[in-house]
Amino acid sequence: MMPDGAAAGRAGYLHEAVYYASDDELLAVVVPFLREGGEAKEPTVVALGPEKADLVRRALPPHTAVTYLAGGAVYARPASAIRAYRELFARYVADGATQIRAVGEIPRPAFGATWDWWARYEAAINHAYDAFPLWTLCAYDARTTPSAVLDDVARTHPRTATPDGRHDPSPGYTPPSEFLAHWRPVPDDPIQTGPPLVTLVDPTAAAARHAVRAVDPGLPAQDRDDLVIAVSEVVTNALRHGQPPVRVAFWAGSDRVVVTVTDAGRGPTDPFVGLLPTGDGATGGLGLWITHQSCNHVTLSRTADGFAVRIIGGNPH
Amino acid sequence: MIVTGEVTTAPRPRDGRHVCLSYDDPGEFRHQAGAFLSEGAAAGQQVWYVGPDAPEVPGLRHLAPADVYPGGPLDDPDEQVAVYASATEDAVAAGFTGLRVAADATPFVRTPERLDAFARYEHRIDRYLDTQPFTAMCAYDRRVLDRTTVADVACLHRDHNVPTVTFRLHGSAGPGGAALAGELDVTQDATFTRALDRAAPTVADGELVVDGPDLDFIDHHGLLRLAGHARRRGAVAVLRTPLPIAARLAALLDVPTVRVEAR
Repeated sequence: MMPDGAAAGRAGYLHEAVYYASDDELLAVVVPFLREGGEAKEPTVVALGPEKADLVRRALPPHTAVTYLAGGAVYARPASAIRAYRELFARYVADGATQIRAVGEIPRPAFGATWDWWARYEAAINHAYDAFPLWTLCAYDARTTPSAVLDDVARTHPRTATPDGRHDPSPGYTPPSEFLAHWRPVPDDPIQTGPPLVTLVDPTAAAARHAVRAVDPGLPAQDRDDLVIAVSEVVTNALRHGQPPVRVAFWAGSDRVVVTVTDAGRGPTDPFVGLLPTGDGATGGLGLWITHQSCNHVTLSRTADGFAVRIIGGNPH
Repeated sequence: MIVTGEVTTAPRPRDGRHVCLSYDDPGEFRHQAGAFLSEGAAAGQQVWYVGPDAPEVPGLRHLAPADVYPGGPLDDPDEQVAVYASATEDAVAAGFTGLRVAADATPFVRTPERLDAFARYEHRIDRYLDTQPFTAMCAYDRRVLDRTTVADVACLHRDHNVPTVTFRLHGSAGPGGAALAGELDVTQDATFTRALDRAAPTVADGELVVDGPDLDFIDHHGLLRLAGHARRRGAVAVLRTPLPIAARLAALLDVPTVRVEAR
């Protein structure tokens, strides 16, 4: 079966943004899209929050073949979302799918302090999902989404689907290699305004792991373990691939720990680093991919002094 | 609290049945061996000392290396284990509670071939003493051995005094006969790879089980080394450990030849 609708004649990934200002506008775009997918027996996926998922379910004809994923779980962390989706799409293709459809909405908490890595996600998936015959609609509520987020959405979605049935190219679209070529400056977490609780210079990864346990304010065990994994990987990368001095600083609030790891090098050059398992073992890509999967917020940046990774364990918002 | 420098946490108690002492002062070995053997004598064990300049311990047998390691350079690690197994049985038959030995093993690891054979023996004897009343302190002279050699033997003991070696791969009653303890990260990569080759955990039913009841950390490099070793031996590595980090990392890595069982 060949792709139909707006995806007709295309190979690979068609990534469209949907800006809606009412439930009716959202339904006007996604209901026909999902109904056509179900009727064509294409794997058809919905990853929305519970309220929007209910809205869509009620609007679709009964027994429309749609798979509902819990939007909050799918969109916990960008690297995990990419991994889970790629595994899902690969299974569909292995089962013979020639077109896959999906509707998703990144939960609103992501539009705050952690938006930068979701913007990177929206850019990276143009590449990461291009191996699949995939058509997705990414829904954004134009009434509540911050304008800076909407600007990134316009730059990362090559097309826009509108409630009146059009599928237009996005004039501001920026290819992922270009969008991801620069890390944007990240504002400090509020707890970084005070001095760090612990600062280590050129520590072993083991010493940095022990410091996580020393500053832990009582994070849930899994958050603490994930942070230990991440700090170990990032410090290991800095020592192996960066330039000395490697400085590791730790701050703790009541519900989170912030760790920065800086070195005097330039950082990795792969634009997809962290979001995809790009590591060949020589560049630290596997370690940063593990870090992106195991922490609630990771930012990469170039500073006047070199390269910095900031990792947050616990509540990043 | 503002700290710069090292942050340390209290280590968990070590298993003292097979300890490695690296020294650069022979007096330090003699002193530590004296304490180790005195403790054994007080517990009713037969005590042997292999090396120069024996400490004063009641009932001590002072032996020359040739008395205990008759084959000279080890050809077969299991033959050397048999020597100690037989001596342990004799000690028990003579009314002792077991055999305790402190030996300067420096002469046995002075060439790469000797090191390889002796390191294999160190693991085999550790499997033996896991279930038998035999305990040992193995001493290595840092003045004549390089750091790599000392690291290679230290990690095969249940306890050692080499701070740059953060893990131990010792014997176990589990199906693979080997257990991993301490912290394993990329700084241990080369040492761990050689240790695995020398310990050669038993493969049964396609699985190479490594126990980890006292594993405190493992990073993705460690899991990948384990997976690679198992793959070369046509098996799947199964790391049995209650350490949540290990299970979490295995799930993140999703490598087919390594699995973590939480226990």
